[in-house]
Amino acid sequence: MGDSYSNIWSYRLTWLYTLLVVFTLMLPVFYVIYISFNQNGFGARDYVFTLDWYGDIFSDLLLLNALGNTLILAAITTVVAVPMGLVAAKFYKTTRAKLFTVSLLLSPLFVPSDILGSALLVFFKNLNIACVSIGDWLGVGWFDDWFVLGYFSALIGLIIYTLPYIFVVILITMGRYHEQQSEAARSCGATAWQAFRQVEFPQIRAGVFSACAFTVILTFNEYTRTSLLKGGYDTVTSVLISQMLNEGMSEQSYAMSSLVSFIAIAVIGGTILYTLIRSEGLGREARAKALPVMSS
Amino acid sequence: MSTMKQSNEAAVQVTGLSKNYGSVQALRGVNLSIGAGEYFVLLGPSGGGKTTLLRLLGGFIRPSGGQILLHGRDVSEQPPNHRPTSMVFQSFALFPHMTVAQNVGYGLRLRKMPKREISERVDAMLEQIGLAALAERMPHALSGGQQQRVQLGRSLVLEADILLLDEPLAALDAKLRKEMCLELKHLQEQVGITFVHVTHNQEEAMTVADNLAIIADGELVETGDARTLYENPIRRFTADFIGENNMFHGRVVEVNGPLAEVDLDFAKLAVDTRGQAAKVGDRAAVSIRSELVWILSPGEEPADALQTMPATYGEAVYLGLATSHVSRLANGDTIVARQISRDEISNAFSAGTGITLAWPRREMRLHLS
Repeated sequence: MGDSYSNIWSYRLTWLYTLLVVFTLMLPVFYVIYISFNQNGFGARDYVFTLDWYGDIFSDLLLLNALGNTLILAAITTVVAVPMGLVAAKFYKTTRAKLFTVSLLLSPLFVPSDILGSALLVFFKNLNIACVSIGDWLGVGWFDDWFVLGYFSALIGLIIYTLPYIFVVILITMGRYHEQQSEAARSCGATAWQAFRQVEFPQIRAGVFSACAFTVILTFNEYTRTSLLKGGYDTVTSVLISQMLNEGMSEQSYAMSSLVSFIAIAVIGGTILYTLIRSEGLGREARAKALPVMSS
Repeated sequence: MSTMKQSNEAAVQVTGLSKNYGSVQALRGVNLSIGAGEYFVLLGPSGGGKTTLLRLLGGFIRPSGGQILLHGRDVSEQPPNHRPTSMVFQSFALFPHMTVAQNVGYGLRLRKMPKREISERVDAMLEQIGLAALAERMPHALSGGQQQRVQLGRSLVLEADILLLDEPLAALDAKLRKEMCLELKHLQEQVGITFVHVTHNQEEAMTVADNLAIIADGELVETGDARTLYENPIRRFTADFIGENNMFHGRVVEVNGPLAEVDLDFAKLAVDTRGQAAKVGDRAAVSIRSELVWILSPGEEPADALQTMPATYGEAVYLGLATSHVSRLANGDTIVARQISRDEISNAFSAGTGITLAWPRREMRLHLS
């Protein structure tokens, strides 16, 4: 809390201000949650508490399908992109061409989402036409639909989108890792994989898990690229936005949004709490082990 | 003392070893042989290539040329885990998420040794390095010296044939470094395996080494035991790097049997060639250890065996045990006479006084390269 001479009130005001900013940012979310419990839905004058809309989520096939699609996209994106980001971060640490590597990996961040999305859309359409023409020419059809818009194209778009974030998040934790430890492990007889698995990974695990959580959230969040590339499939975001643009969100959509927020807050809050408790516990354990010897 | 370490088998045999990084030559055609059971030190200035050589021995970098034999086996293309070596690093090399005991037992676990045997060996090793009481501590709760002991234990417990030490004491303070030097030396005598130790610290090197190699600018300059390199260096660089030597530069003007006469422009010195092939016209350097130089008392007649040289007194630098008297020669070069501190000398001369310096002729050394 600053130095010993700083004003206690300025410290408290700083905290108050921070909390106020966070609260303001979260206010719309709280409002959505509030509506999701109202029997009369959005804009109604009378508020009657109910859990019905939450029950209705599970009979709303449109929403359920969209949630399923989103979860599948999030899962595959995470499984594919996080290892890629990990490998990229490891490469970055060893390469001498750092500027080139980082520019290349972060470049998707500097292309606006609609431009990247439409570029990929045109790319896949052309690729699809090429596949079909070549198939016709060869008289075979088994690669005709490789590049039809769908899961595959949406995944490519999402991987390009999430990779820079994953790279940066992992690189931050990897920055604190000392490469000598891998070399020490190797000189103790470990293979490169054992050195990574037993020595490096336990120390960068937090970064890798953060990157996974981040990827899932980014996938849930992404609209432009996904909606341009997803073909006929619906995702949670695309359903919500199309409802907003047409007849307005359905009551169970409010419930679904709240549910997703609840889960996200619970997962992230739980992670933070677990980390705090664990580091506190580790610190206490280390001190306990250190004490008897210190006193002798 | 070191004769008991004599061995016919070479633990390390390096021929024509080089390493390039792009256009930078970190190591150039090094030939080196290290006997089994020797405590060998690679000594040299920072950036000279000694760590590169050690890392080549350990398999952490791939040579650009040449061959590495460890106990007669060519390991030039082998990764670290396939070599009979183990390495101790300067710092930050303990596994921070493992306890001291887990760190020491890591290599044994990789070998799938039975749990009971691992814990017996780890306990014995912790006893040997004096850390039995700290087995359950995490590395961050250890002092720098204790951390380096754990590293030693982690390597020694594997009973590898060759232990590589990369500036293992550089992160420690001066006093602790001195203590650890002797500890290392005694530990090596106990376990009897080959130690190859990299350092830029001369005192550390001389404390531990049976034999040393001087490495600078990517080249192996000279090898020998500490006494030879200190008292009888062949190469100019060695004389400049080890100890505190006065160096004169000139040309060979006459070769007469074992003596070469070197003209310094302001004086001529007759120096033993020590078997070097000196030719008239060769550029040459002559060195004399500063502790062998003293200032003649006014009116004192020098003995025949002494070389004398006139100089202008500069200043006295008090260093505790010794005092360095810095003077200037006729050509403007400085010359240092280092003597055990005594009041009567320290205060005898004032700056600008003309003095005569003297040293034994036979202690002068000729350097042709």
